[in-house]
Formats: sequence, C-alpha cells, structure tokens
Amino acid sequence: METTSTNEAVTNHAVNSPSQSRAMLAADNLTKRYEDGVLALDHVTFEVNQGHIYAMLGGNGAGKTTTINLFLNFIEPTEGEARINGIVTHKEPLRAKEKIAFVSENVMLYPNFTALQNLDFFARLGGQTGYSKDDYREVLLRVGLQEEAHNKRLKGFSKGMRQKCGIAIAILKDAPAILLDEPTSGLDPKAGFEFIRLLESLRDEGKAILMSTHDIFRARDIADTIGIMNQGRIVMQSQKSDIAGEDLEKLYMKYMAGYMEQVN
Amino acid sequence: MLKYIIEKELRDMISSTKFVVTFAICAVLILLAFYTGAQNYRVSQSQYQAAKTENLRQLEGLTDWIMVRNFRIFLPPEPLAALVTGISNDIGRSVTVQGRGELATQDSRFSDEPVFAVFRFLDLDFIFQIVLSLFAILFAYDAINGEKERGTLRLTFANAVPRAQYILGKIIGSFLALAVPVLLAILLGCLLLPLLGVHLNGDEWLRLGLMIFAGLLYFGVFLMLAVFISSLTHRTSSSFLLLLVIWIFSVLIIPRTAVLLAGRAVDVPSVDEIASQKNRLRSQLWSEDRKKMSEFKPTQNGDPQTMVSEFNKFMSEAADEREKKMNELASRLNEDRHNKQAVQEKLAFGLARLSPAAAFSMATTNLAGTSMDMKAHFLSEAQAYQKTYAEFMQSKTGMNIGGGAMVFRMRSGDGEEDVEKPIDAKELPEFNYAGLPLDRVVGAALPDLGILALFNLLFFAGAFVAFLRYDLR
Amino acid sequence: MLKILIEKELKAIILSPKFSATFSVCAILIVLSVFIGLRDYQAAVAQYETATTLSNQEMREQTSWMSLNTRAYREPDPMQIFVAGVQNDVGRLSSINAFSQIKLENSNYSDEPIFAVFRFIDLTFIVQIVLSLFAILFTYDAINGEREGGTLQLTFANAVPRVQYILAKFIGSWLGLVLPLLIPLLIGLLLLLLFRVPMTGDHWAKLFTLIGASFLYFTFFIALGLLVSALTKRSTTSFMFLLVAWVTLVLIVPRAGVMLAGQITPVPTVAEIDGQREGYAKERWKQHMDALTERWEERNAGLQNLTAEEREAFRDDHSWDWMKEDEEERKLVQRDISEYDRKLNEDLRNRKATQERLGFLLSRFSPASSYQLAAMHLAGTDISIKPEYEDAMRDYRDKFISYREQKQKEEGGGMAGGFRIEFNSDTGMKISGDRDSGAIDVTDVPVFEAPQYRFAAGLLPAMPDFGLLTLYTLLAFAAGFVAFLRYDVR
Ligand SMILES: Nc1ncnc2c1ncn2[C@@H]1O[C@H](COP(=O)(O)OP(=O)(O)O)[C@@H](O)[C@H]1O
Ligand SMILES: [Mg+2]
Repeated sequence: METTSTNEAVTNHAVNSPSQSRAMLAADNLTKRYEDGVLALDHVTFEVNQGHIYAMLGGNGAGKTTTINLFLNFIEPTEGEARINGIVTHKEPLRAKEKIAFVSENVMLYPNFTALQNLDFFARLGGQTGYSKDDYREVLLRVGLQEEAHNKRLKGFSKGMRQKCGIAIAILKDAPAILLDEPTSGLDPKAGFEFIRLLESLRDEGKAILMSTHDIFRARDIADTIGIMNQGRIVMQSQKSDIAGEDLEKLYMKYMAGYMEQVN
Repeated sequence: MLKYIIEKELRDMISSTKFVVTFAICAVLILLAFYTGAQNYRVSQSQYQAAKTENLRQLEGLTDWIMVRNFRIFLPPEPLAALVTGISNDIGRSVTVQGRGELATQDSRFSDEPVFAVFRFLDLDFIFQIVLSLFAILFAYDAINGEKERGTLRLTFANAVPRAQYILGKIIGSFLALAVPVLLAILLGCLLLPLLGVHLNGDEWLRLGLMIFAGLLYFGVFLMLAVFISSLTHRTSSSFLLLLVIWIFSVLIIPRTAVLLAGRAVDVPSVDEIASQKNRLRSQLWSEDRKKMSEFKPTQNGDPQTMVSEFNKFMSEAADEREKKMNELASRLNEDRHNKQAVQEKLAFGLARLSPAAAFSMATTNLAGTSMDMKAHFLSEAQAYQKTYAEFMQSKTGMNIGGGAMVFRMRSGDGEEDVEKPIDAKELPEFNYAGLPLDRVVGAALPDLGILALFNLLFFAGAFVAFLRYDLR
Repeated sequence: MLKILIEKELKAIILSPKFSATFSVCAILIVLSVFIGLRDYQAAVAQYETATTLSNQEMREQTSWMSLNTRAYREPDPMQIFVAGVQNDVGRLSSINAFSQIKLENSNYSDEPIFAVFRFIDLTFIVQIVLSLFAILFTYDAINGEREGGTLQLTFANAVPRVQYILAKFIGSWLGLVLPLLIPLLIGLLLLLLFRVPMTGDHWAKLFTLIGASFLYFTFFIALGLLVSALTKRSTTSFMFLLVAWVTLVLIVPRAGVMLAGQITPVPTVAEIDGQREGYAKERWKQHMDALTERWEERNAGLQNLTAEEREAFRDDHSWDWMKEDEEERKLVQRDISEYDRKLNEDLRNRKATQERLGFLLSRFSPASSYQLAAMHLAGTDISIKPEYEDAMRDYRDKFISYREQKQKEEGGGMAGGFRIEFNSDTGMKISGDRDSGAIDVTDVPVFEAPQYRFAAGLLPAMPDFGLLTLYTLLAFAAGFVAFLRYDVR
C-alpha cells in the first residue's frame, strides 16, 4: 500500500517515519453499536500512513463521523480499536490525542474571542506554546483568512471563515495526523479549491490525513486511498492509481447499489 | 390571523417540558402558600383565644371592679392577614387598657418568636412577588428574539402577516397560556381555605379576589416587560441577562433601598425621645400631686370605706387633671412625629413604587389590611375601646381609676371579715375589633392597582413599538 | 495545561456581558448596602445615646429612692451593618423596676413599621440572594454551553485531561465571580474607615470570617451550576433546573423548614406564660394577705383590753417594727414570684430552643440557611440576642433593686419618698406626708453592662454551619466532577 504519487512525499516519508511498517492511523475491526442499538460501524479496518491522504466516501449516516469520533475517543468502541501511531485511543486517549489535529464539519470557536485569541488558546492546548502573534498571522494568511479579520471577534464570522480558522488551528498543532470531518461542506468553490491545495501541502509535509467527505470529485483529486463506506462498512477500498482511469461516480453508485442488493 | 397566532403561541407554550415543570412547581408553591396561611391562621386563632381566656381568668376572684387595674385587649387574627402577612407580625398584638392614658401595642409575633423572623413566612405576597415574576420572565424572555434565533420569525414574515397582529397575538397568547394555569392553582388554593377550616365572609372574598386581580396585573407587568425587552434585543442570552438584572432591582433592591434611604433622609423624632419627655412630665406632675395628697383631709372622720372612696375620688380627679396635661404634651409631640412620619412615608413609598413589585406588595397588603395603616388602626380601635372601658368603670366604681391612681384594699382591723361577692368578668365590655372598612381598604389599594395597570400599558406600548421596528433578519 | 485553561476561562468570562452585568450590579449593591447599613448604624447609635442619656437624666431628676426606676437598652453593634439578623425584630429596651418583667420591647420594626414593609438590605442578603443567582448565571452553561458552541469537541481533540478541564472551569468561574466582589468590598471597608465606625480587632475578625463564609456560600452555587451543567446537554434545560433549585434552596426551604418546625413543636404562647405567672403571683399575694390579716388580728388581740390611750401609745411604739416585719414578708413574696418567673422562663426557653433547633435543622437542608445562620452567629445578631440580653438585664435588675433598697435603708428608713396612710378607728384617716429628700444622688447607680459578643463566641456556634457549607460544596463539586468524567463531549 505504498504510494509513489510524488517524489517529495517519498522523501518526506523516509525522513519523518522511522518505522515504516507502522501506520500513523489505524482502524482495526472498529465496531460501534450505539446505546439505542444502531450499529453505526461494523468491523471497519484501514490504515493511513504518513504522507498519505485517506478519503472516506459515503452518504449521510454511513458512519464517517462515528469513525472519526472513535479516533478522538469521544466515544468508545464496542469492539476493535483505533490506533494513532500505535497508541490505542481508548486506552491512552491523552497520549493519542497529542498526535492528532482535528477539523470538524462545522468549526465552532469562542464567539467572544478574536481569531487570534482563539488560535492562541487552541495552539497552547495542543502543546504549542512557542508561537508569536506573527506566527498566528502567518498561518491565518496561509489558510486564506484576510488580514482584517484577524482581530475581529468570531461572532460575525461566516462558516467558511470559521473553517479556515479551524484548519489554521490544526496546522499550528503540527501533529503527525490530521482528522477532517467533511471539512469542505459549505465552502464556496474557490475556498474549496484552496483548501485542497492546503491539504496537499500538508500531506507533502508528511502528515497522515484522514478525511471524510461526500464529494466524490474532490476525493479523487487528492486522496491516495479511497474507502467507500455504506451502512457502517467499508464496501470498497482502492488506491488512487487503481482507479485513475475509472469513472469514480459510476463506481460509487455501483458499490452502493451492489451493497444494497447484497443486503436485500 | 390573530387567532392563528394566539393558537400557535398557546400550543407552543403548553407543549414544552419547561412549561410542565415550571407550572408544577408554581402550582405547588401557590398551594403551599394557601396551606401555610391557613395553618398559621389557625395557630394565631388558638393563641388569640388562649390569650383572651387567660386575660379574663386573671380577673377571677376579684371582689371589686376597683381592683381591675388593667385589662388587655388583643388584635384578633384575620385570615387575609395570614395569607398576606404584611407588617402584622411586626407590630404588637396586644394593648393594655387602663381607662386612661396613651396606649401602646406590645408583644409582636416576631419579637416573641424571633425564630420566625429569621427567614420569615412563606405567604402569598412573597410567592406572587418572587415566583410569578420569575415565571413570567422565564417564559417570555425569548418571545421575539428566540423565534429569530430559531429562524421561525423569517419564515412567519415571509407570509402576509401584519406585525401589529403578530405582537398582539404573541402577548395575548402567552398571557393566556401562563395566566390561566396560575389562576387555576390560585382558585384551587382558595377552595382549600374552607376545607382547612378558614371561612371568609363576603367582604373578605371580594378583597381576596382583588388581591388575585392585583397578582394578575403584576404578572402582566413582567410578561409585557419580558416581551418588550425581547423585542429590543437580538439574542436570547442578552435579553435574559437584562431581565434578570431588572428583576433583581425591582423585586429585591428598589423597594428596600427606597424605604431605607427615604427613612434616613427624613428625621423623625424617636419614640425614646418622646417617651422620655412624657416620663419627665409625668413624674413632675406626680410629685406635685403628692404634695396635694398629704394635704388631703376627708370631710368627716368615720367610716373608713367612705373615707377611702372620697380619697379615691380625689385621686381620680387629680389623675384626670394630670392626664389632661399629659395629653396636651403628647398630642404636641405626636403631631410633630406624625407629620414627619407622613412626609417620610410619602417619600419612601413614592420612590419604592418605581418598582412594580413594591406597588404590588402595597396593593395586596392594603387589601389584606396588613399595610402600614394596620398599627394606627389597631391603636385607634383600642383607644375607642378604652373610652367604653372607662365609662364602664365609671358606672361600676363611680370613677376612672386608670393610670397612676391608687387602689386601696380594705382589710378591716377589727376582726369581722365581710365576705364579698366576686365580680363577673363577663360584664366587661368586649373588644370588638373591626378591621379597616372595605371602602377604605379598596381606596388605599386603588392607586397601586393603577400603577400596576400603568406599568402594563407602558410596557405593552413599548413592546408594540419596538416590534414594529424590529429587524427580522 | 491547567493554567492555559484557567486563563481562557477568565478571559471568556471577562469578555462576556454577564461579567459586566455582575460587576456593575455587585458594585452598586455592595457599596449601597454598606452605605445604608452605616447610616442605619449611626442612626441607631444616636438613638441609643440619646435614649440612655435621657434615661439617666430622668433618674437624676427623681426625688426619692423608692420611685427610682430605669431602663436598659440594647447597644448597637457595627456588625449589624453587614448582618442585620433579627436585630430589628427584637426589642431594644426593657424597663428595670421591681414590678414588671424583664422583656425586650420596642423593636425597631414595631416602633417604625415603615421599615418593616420591605425590610433590610445588608451584605448577607446580597450574597445570599443576588450573588447566588449570579453564581448560577456564571456556571449554568459552563459545560453544556461549550458543547452547544462546539468548542468542547475541539478542546477535547487535544490531549486535555478532563480532570484539569473541570478544575479549570471551577477555578475560572470562581475567580470571575470573586473579582467583581473584591473592588466593591474594598470600597465598603474604606467607607467603614471613612465614617469612623468603631471597629475593634474582634469586629474585623468577624467581618473577614463573614466574607470567608460568603465566598464559601457562593462557591457552593458555582459547584452546583457546574454539576447541573455537566448533567444536561442543553443550557436552557440546565438554566431552568438551576433557577428552580435556586428558588427552592434560597427562598422556599429556609422558610418552610422553620414553619414546619413551628407546627411540629408548639410552644406555649406569651399569654399562657403570663397567665401562669400571674396566677401564681395572685395565689402568693393572697396567701400573704391572709397571713397579714391573721397577724394583724394577733397584734390587735394583744390590745383587746387596753384603754384608748394605751392602745395609741402601744401602736406608736410598735407600728414601725410591724411595718418592717410586713415589709420583709412582702419582699419574700416578691422574691418567690420572681423565682417562679425565672423557672417559667427557663421552661419556656427550653421548649423554644427545641423548636428553634428543629426549625433550623430542617431549614439547613438549604445552604442558604446555613449561610445566614452562620453569618448571624458571627455577627451576634442571631436569635440568641434576645435571651442573652434578657438574662443580662435580669441580673442588672437584681443589682439595681438591691442597690436601691440599700440606699433606701441608708437614707431615712424604708419609706422615704413614699407616703403612709393610716386608718385608725380613733383618729380617722391620716396621710403622713412625703418625706422627700429633694434630689437624690444617683452617680453610683450600677450601670447596665451589655453582653459582649466576642469573635470566638460567635465562631463556635457558626462552626457546624461552616462545616455544612463545606460539605454541600464538596458534594456538589464531587458530583459535578464525576458527571463530567462521563460527559459526552460531542
Ligand atoms: N449518538 C448517537 N446515538 C445513536 N445513533 C447514532 C448516534 N450518532 C450517530 N448515530 C447513528 O449512527 C449512524 C452513523 O452516523 P454518522 O457517523 O454520524 O454518519 P455520517 O457522519 O457518515 O453521516 C447513523 O445511522 C446515525 O443515525
Ligand atoms: Mg457526519
């Protein structure tokens, strides 16, 4: 499951990962049954290495957020485990969380704080205490938040602006793994495009990125591996190279339909 | 259109769990207030009866009316006073009548039983004042801005809805939804009264009805205020904060502060000063009279009984003389005090009425007969009784022996014991306390009812105007 | 980590509108209450001073020892500025004489009912009612508000231990509430100095302990707010619960507890006690009178067969002794009656104490009661001022009366200042005048010494309430802690 899509990635990969065999993010038979009996995840297994982007594709209710919540230990698995850099999240959540940054579907920050204040707080929570104001500004510019907004309170921010702050926070944490839950939903096309470029550059820095999305085309654009999820299972998983020529949309529909038939 | 809005408002309110929980608590508290009021009334009733019986029992065995030196009369408990305690526990409940002289109330409940003064009573006034107002705020603080936050306001006004009708429907709907259950709880409480052995007469029912009406007006004030503030702000958290601060000030702070500040701004001569001046005059007069006493000579020597009664008459006349002088001084001193007190009262209550809670409290205590007038009324009733008492004594003994006069008990030194018939204490005129008459009670409550209505109107208009210019986005 | 979290918490609180609201309301209220309390105290001192002066003047103007009476007054104490307690409800004075009972009469509220209409506003009231409300306002959405805002997720995507998080919430809200208090409190203390309130070291100790108790009290509400916030998902729900809890704990339970106790353990009324006392007194006086009659009959029996002149001479010889003898007897009766009265009072007091204990015990289910009771004990304005003052006044009365009798004896027989009325079957009625000695010298009349309320004496009875407050706070905090450890941060 090695990728050779870019040379840079290979080098970075070599430099940053002393133990190549161990994946940065790993789901191992991850199963979650909620208290009300809903089986949201059913023995899901996958791995994401450093310098890789893994895209979870799936419709509403497929189990994407549940997977990410399990990595964050917001909920505990019914069976199996999620590992971050080999650390089992529900056994040592604090150690595991030092290694991940998270951008939610709808980034929410303290409305009474300015963008800079929010960044400062969350960066320090993430263990990064050495940043200066200029560093924050630089990152905010990098994610595309205009200078005027830096000192404004979050109250008046649009969703796109908040998402940008969220990714800035993730960047600042400088963790080896990044989890993104439908980060581009609600972004305008230009912002979405810039966002994808940003993710690529992060991947090139050697981050392991797990991203959930229902945007097939974006997934094909940047993902190294795509997992199609339906009703709590990964129904198809393939490398970017494997599906390069295929019509992903057709494939997606096919797997969804096929799966449905299988169920029925 | 208006009907739809009112209907929606009613349904929206009543279907929320918030409503069920809060209403249940509110109902329990209101019933509790009625219950404890009734219980308290019964306790006071038995205390009153015991005191009266005891007072009469003390006269047992006396053989001459002349031996009755003083007689106590008591303020009878009233059921409405138990429901709205006002100052009824702060003023003395008994007066010692001697036939002449100034009267003073003694033995207030709180000074006798300070344990109840620590946290005070849970009466209707308190429950209405605090709980009803909080209840109103809790339900109406997000009347307008809550709909905006939820996005339903925009959806509503995407239709051809006139704003005036909307706000009207909102106010009417929420008032109905909240006031009707509260009213039900109150009516239930009223039903509880006869069951607990508290029987009200027609006048008292009318007064209680007016008290409940005052309660609804007061409830309306806070409801309108909440809608008003809600249509002035865009976020529910800020409207709630603002309302809570207003609530704290109007319910807890303004009334107290107004009275305390006004009380200190006007200097009223203290009772001690007045009492001391009276004491001095009294002892001065007494020492003058003592000189006269030693010059007293009975017209003829002989039967000690006639000599004593002659002496007593002499003493009684001297006491009358003294009382006249005392009264002159007292009325001069008291008038000054009363005038200053009136100024103080006007200022204090005028300021306090800036708060609807104070206006409500004064309306209900006036209706219950436990307002500031209570003490003065009790004293004037007692004064009237003292006259009857003095007349009775005059008829029985030929003189008014009250005050500092002396009573001689004859023990014949010559051996023959004459057996005297004991007096019948039941002959003493009874103290029939008549509470404040209905017209005076209602008259005293009217200005405050007016103020409450005015507050309603003001906040209603405010809410109306504010909503007409409300930014719907 | 903890530091970062606390810093953020403080910053968030200070930037929020509720902080400015709390700050301004607290500032206004605390300064106002201290100011009003001060003015009230000064007025009380002025009233006390004129009253005692006048009472002394009245004494000086007396012309006979026999009619010498006085009054003892309750002294105002600077602590009433902060904790009015029942000091306006309990009488201010009692007359001191041989005939009437010691009883504190003329309470402020019965003298000036205008102040009874809306009652007092003091620091205790503000802390008990307003600050507890603000404590709730600060914490009702501490946890669930962050969940609703989505920041809880983002926070816990980092390696943040939950223990530290809830601790930081607690400390942050605590500091956020203490800050608005400190400045007005300091201004209040300055006012005390400015108006030269005679605060002794003891007073300062009491005041600072009171402030400590206040902090402890609202700490409970902070912990309670956190607890409910960590138990609920939505901040509107938690706010409603807290408001209901607040109304119940602060307004209902204290009153209901005492009222319930009043119904469980009835206490004989004052009228009943008076009745018993007077019944005894009447009985005793009747005995006395009967004995007296008998004695006179005996005395007269000895004269039976003397001539009129001899009788007169014999009477003149003996009348003084007889009167003395009778007087002794009379005093004995009086002593018996006051002894009986003491017993009755003791009994009444015990039964009242039982009622009070039960009432306060029940009301202590609410920390608001615990706080108020502790504050009153500390300030010496609790309900025990009544019996304590009455005891001191009773002792004083005994001292005063024995002094007076001493003087009466020293200066011209037992009857100086009184008058004597004789009926004689021979000479008729004779009123022998007034042996007035002119003015009397009252400079060495014993002075009433008010019971002293030392700091330690107030602290001791307040200890259980301190303990209870601490217990409530710890319980609420521990429960909040546990609740948060299992809180679903999504
Ligand atoms: N807290 C919960 N309790 C019960 N069921 C849940 C809960 N959260 C999610 N689910 C269910 O789990 C399934 C997966 O949900 P989710 O992971 O949120 O899907 P996605 O993010 O892919 O849209 C859905 O059927 C959803 O209804
Ligand atoms: Mg999702």
